[in-house]
Amino acid sequence: MMITTSSKLLYGLGAGSLAAGFVWFVANEGQQLGSVMFAFLAVAFIFLGAIASYTRDGHVLSTDTAAHASSAASQKSVGRSLWPFGTAVSAGVTVVGLISSPGIFKVGVALLIAMLGEWMISNWAERASSSNEYNTKVRDYLVHPLELPVAGALLLAVIVLSFSRVFLALSKSVGAIVFAGMGALILFFGALIAVKRQANRRVVGAILGVLLLALAGTGVATALDGEREQLTEAAEEDHFAHRGCTEEKEYSDKKASRAVSMKSSILANVILTEDGQLYAEATGYPGQQSAITIQRSNPSTILFVNESSEARRMVLSYGKVVEDLGDGVERESALEACTSKVEKGGQQAVTVVVPKPSSASDEPFTITVPGVEGAKIDVFVP
Amino acid sequence: MKNPRRRFLSLAGAAAGLVAVAGCAKDAPQDTWQPAGPNAEMIDNLQRPVFLVAGIVGVIVFAAVAWVVFRYRDRGQAIPEQTHGKPAVEITLTVIPVLILIGVAIPTASTIFDLAKTDDTQMVINVTGQQWWWEYDYPAIGDNAAKYGLSQPIVTSGQLVIPENTKVLLRVTSRDVIHSYWIPKLNGKKDGVPGRVHLLRLEGSKPGIYAGQCTEFCGLSHSYMRMETIVLKRADFDAWVANQLAPYEAPAEGTLAKEGEALYIQQCSRCHQVNGLADAEGNLIVSAPEQYVVSGAAPNLTNLMTRNTFAGASWDLLTQECRDVVWKASADEFGAKYLAGVSADCLNQKDLREWLRNAPEKKPMYVDPTKLQETGGKYRGMPALGLTEDQIDALVAYLLERK
Ligand code: HEC
Ligand SMILES: [Cu+2]
Repeated sequence: MMITTSSKLLYGLGAGSLAAGFVWFVANEGQQLGSVMFAFLAVAFIFLGAIASYTRDGHVLSTDTAAHASSAASQKSVGRSLWPFGTAVSAGVTVVGLISSPGIFKVGVALLIAMLGEWMISNWAERASSSNEYNTKVRDYLVHPLELPVAGALLLAVIVLSFSRVFLALSKSVGAIVFAGMGALILFFGALIAVKRQANRRVVGAILGVLLLALAGTGVATALDGEREQLTEAAEEDHFAHRGCTEEKEYSDKKASRAVSMKSSILANVILTEDGQLYAEATGYPGQQSAITIQRSNPSTILFVNESSEARRMVLSYGKVVEDLGDGVERESALEACTSKVEKGGQQAVTVVVPKPSSASDEPFTITVPGVEGAKIDVFVP
Repeated sequence: MKNPRRRFLSLAGAAAGLVAVAGCAKDAPQDTWQPAGPNAEMIDNLQRPVFLVAGIVGVIVFAAVAWVVFRYRDRGQAIPEQTHGKPAVEITLTVIPVLILIGVAIPTASTIFDLAKTDDTQMVINVTGQQWWWEYDYPAIGDNAAKYGLSQPIVTSGQLVIPENTKVLLRVTSRDVIHSYWIPKLNGKKDGVPGRVHLLRLEGSKPGIYAGQCTEFCGLSHSYMRMETIVLKRADFDAWVANQLAPYEAPAEGTLAKEGEALYIQQCSRCHQVNGLADAEGNLIVSAPEQYVVSGAAPNLTNLMTRNTFAGASWDLLTQECRDVVWKASADEFGAKYLAGVSADCLNQKDLREWLRNAPEKKPMYVDPTKLQETGGKYRGMPALGLTEDQIDALVAYLLERK
């Protein structure tokens, strides 16, 4: 038989594409592009179909039943695997990291590599031979030397981190009491297991599991609790809004957006040095610059780095707009963009779109730091 | 039935012949195998040996596959003995590719690093992609100002002009979607991504025109998003800069071009900038493309006729005859021919007029006024302005003087 099962499908698809190409040609009044695409598709399908015919779908002879049972390729796959799921989740984590913070991104990439590796090895091992037992052995042999130490390290990390979070949240004296109590508890349990030789492994395992979960849960709870307090405080202090670009003493940003992913797409860094010098480092330019260009109508991000000892902010002035309020009344307002005040060592990014060229403005465009005499960078918008 | 082997061989022969013939294209301005500058040469020096290695491996693999498929095809014979596991073969077949790949990886990595070097930059140019044309601006700071006479920024489009044997660094970005800048004879591709600045070295060692096109699918008229890099001798480049920075010359009173200027102010200046153009009261006119176009930009027309192509370098401003004079000029004569710009006799009236009559018909763009809700009324591209033929005459006369 020339027309095998899969070649049937491919020939069918080829014929369908041909027909679709014809219909397209008629329906679109002679527009050829779609028809050409369908024709290519048809050729590809028919070509694949021909290969399938020629190789008879690459089938083992249907009469050779012995080969059906014994060849490695015809073994049933072992069963459900968690690795594809794990891979998908890691891909998700990677994407989330990409838009939120580099730390999460790195964790995502590491997870992704691990999951993919595990998936590939299991997949290979499941078909290594026709014996399932041998396949499992071969997999463990390959993977355990990597898996076990990593799993152990992770377990240890969870325990240590949870402990540290819990103790950070406790006061000094209570911490000491809890620490002593826990130590006693662990000793007690250890002694119990040692004495009761035939202790049911399952029961012991379950108890340890519950303990671990409780510890991790408390750790997470205490960690979250600490942070939430800071955030509410920040909101109360108007941390998130920064109005006006002057020098006045209002809230200053203690941790100005250190993890903004915008930092990866910076047009220029603007740095205020300890002795009040202001300079720029723009992508593609060597060394320290006293002038930068910003493309017109193009969202551009500038990162302000404060290395001086005072809390300071960066202000970008790019001309002014005149609004016509009717009846010959006009209102003039300056176009400015600024960071909030940034403490020593802090940095914050500002994104601006400058619609007009600097040559069209009476006043030059500049970057300045209010309160620092002579700190100025020229800004050109062509 | 005919001998199947002969049939197969003649088919394969025909296919191979076709592929070979396809390599005979004579006029191939975007040929990666003909580098015209040191960066492209670095790539070329890498791709030739790699292509050779890959080609040999490819031929061996395909021949082996073909042989196996043919030799062991099903003729009803018994299934051969099934075995698994042959460590010697498996290890050999792993180690050989690994060695080959390592051999390829070492020069590849070093070329990548060489191509990413920026500490030898002599000139910086910003390159901004938008649907569907490239804008170039030459910042008037740093070495550009100090060594290349750029006392003011230059903004141009479509054709990037650079001095010969100069290490130019392009800062590539985009105003809307992702585009990709590629002049095959001068260097590899670099994506222009909104909000990011990517660096691309560019250097031409021989005066001439080097063509390229956007290589990241960017919407409706992606195929009309072309560009050219013009390499000029240093003296010619200086002349080019001086001309770009020359003050605006208004058309003489009473001419057709003067009428065109008035029309231009009324119809075009809201999107297009002509530097130095002023209104009746002497106030400089500043375009406001950010109010009309999604990307916030339209080509600067101050020196339109110093370029040879327009609208994403997709159409010639020169007639075929005059175009040949420039494109086919020898390296020595090229500069003078290019600097001559577009004269009245050489102007490709047909395409420019069609553009002014109905731009979106020539180059598909999203400019249908009834479908602009999504973009808040802003166009992607240049709309049809419903000009009369007389108005087009006047505008062409005006544009002809923009050199
Ligand atoms: C709504 C804004 C808008 C208006 C109004 C407008 N244009 Fe355009 N024009 C554009 C845009 C956007 C492009 C770039 C289109 C492309 O290449 O994809 C363009 C391209 C051009 C080009 C090609 C320039 C080059 O360097 O490639 C010319 C010439 C031109 N326009 C002339 C005119 C003239 C003359 C008028 C007035 C009659 C006019 N335009 C009005 C937006 C506008
Ligand atoms: Cu593009």
